[in-house]
Amino acid sequence: MTRTLSLALLLTASATTQAQSLCQSIASRCEAHITTNYIPDGQFYRALLQGDETAEFQLTLFGGTTYRIAACSGDSDGILLFSVFDQERNLLYTNKDHHNAPFWDLTIANTIDVIIEANLDPTKAGSGCAVMLMGFKK
Amino acid sequence: MASLRSLTGVFGLSFLLASCGGSGEGERQQADSLATVQETPGTEVFGIGGKLFSVPSPTQTALAIRKAGLKYQKELTAPLEKGDAVSGKAAQATLLGVFGADLSYVTVHKDGQRALATMQAVERLGGRLELTNAFDRALLDRFKSSMGNEDSLLRLSGVAFRAADQYLKNSDRDDVSALVLTGGWIESMHLSLADPAAMKDKVLMARVGEQKKTLAGLVELLTATDKEGAAVALIAGLKDLSAEFEKITIAYKFEPPVTDADAKTTFINSTVAVEIPAEQLTSITAKVAALRNMILA
Repeated sequence: MTRTLSLALLLTASATTQAQSLCQSIASRCEAHITTNYIPDGQFYRALLQGDETAEFQLTLFGGTTYRIAACSGDSDGILLFSVFDQERNLLYTNKDHHNAPFWDLTIANTIDVIIEANLDPTKAGSGCAVMLMGFKK
Repeated sequence: MASLRSLTGVFGLSFLLASCGGSGEGERQQADSLATVQETPGTEVFGIGGKLFSVPSPTQTALAIRKAGLKYQKELTAPLEKGDAVSGKAAQATLLGVFGADLSYVTVHKDGQRALATMQAVERLGGRLELTNAFDRALLDRFKSSMGNEDSLLRLSGVAFRAADQYLKNSDRDDVSALVLTGGWIESMHLSLADPAAMKDKVLMARVGEQKKTLAGLVELLTATDKEGAAVALIAGLKDLSAEFEKITIAYKFEPPVTDADAKTTFINSTVAVEIPAEQLTSITAKVAALRNMILA
């Protein structure tokens, strides 16, 4: 029993460390998309996805601002799909229509609460760490 | 066979914990799923960074304050010596967020001396929270060498706070991450509301009201991450404030967005009208002041 518990802890720690390491390298690559024209929002968003799982987060985008959203996974660009919806679930943007673009700018006329959904392109990856970063122009 | 079954279960547990971003997030995962009932059956949802929302950058609020033409008041910022006096993880984390918001405020108002002093306070406090990967001497040196270049300073600050957030989340310290965000948000609200002249600026006041959903999300986030009960009073204060925000009406009207594929830009043109009754604004101002006093006590 003790041996099983120890093994459980060891495997847990190992899997967690591997996952964090995986996200770290993706984050470093993703940061390059938030170029010097943008001020990072100071937050880091990540999730581990498997199969058709969807990561979702809610945010408020302020009027009169241009935001850059960068979405990365795997070892190259174009693996993470992301879509932006308003609170009524109207689709505002999806990178599926733009060759899985790893980043996109959203210019906001009036403040809006949005939902971003992200999932892996099933033709390119079955599981992986999804990283999203955000910056904005002054 | 029994061992094999145990091993399978253990591996499954490991993967589940890793999928949630680390041990200790399992319960939060459950809460996240409950918060997203609109998902189609069979599709699991994972919160990015352990929670499903983002807090607007304090830099954006600082820029809005400057745009409103309000007079710069250094005395509105938190006393920096507080950073050396405050004890306890929760208090330190919240104050770090406060200093982060102040750093944006003094930077956009071109008070280089105060900005440097604030960054030094951030570095010391960050060290006490074991965030030397994000706030170190090298950052201070880069900050010093960028004095006079507002964009560089804001970018440096944003990169450093993002690195701190990443480190905290990777270290399963989501509670600290949430408290830093909360401190920054409360200070941004304080800086927006503390000057009575701000009440006359409709755009700035609308910006306050537009954070209704952010506040609701912050309450959820803190509640989900505060496993040690270190933020009970703060959460109660935020819930009290949230009750005032609930009286704000926000009318949204969808307008089709326009995409310029060559510029990799989508223009989102939906409209929104925010209405904040005067008594709510007064009450919100008082409650934000009380929350800030709690942090600085």
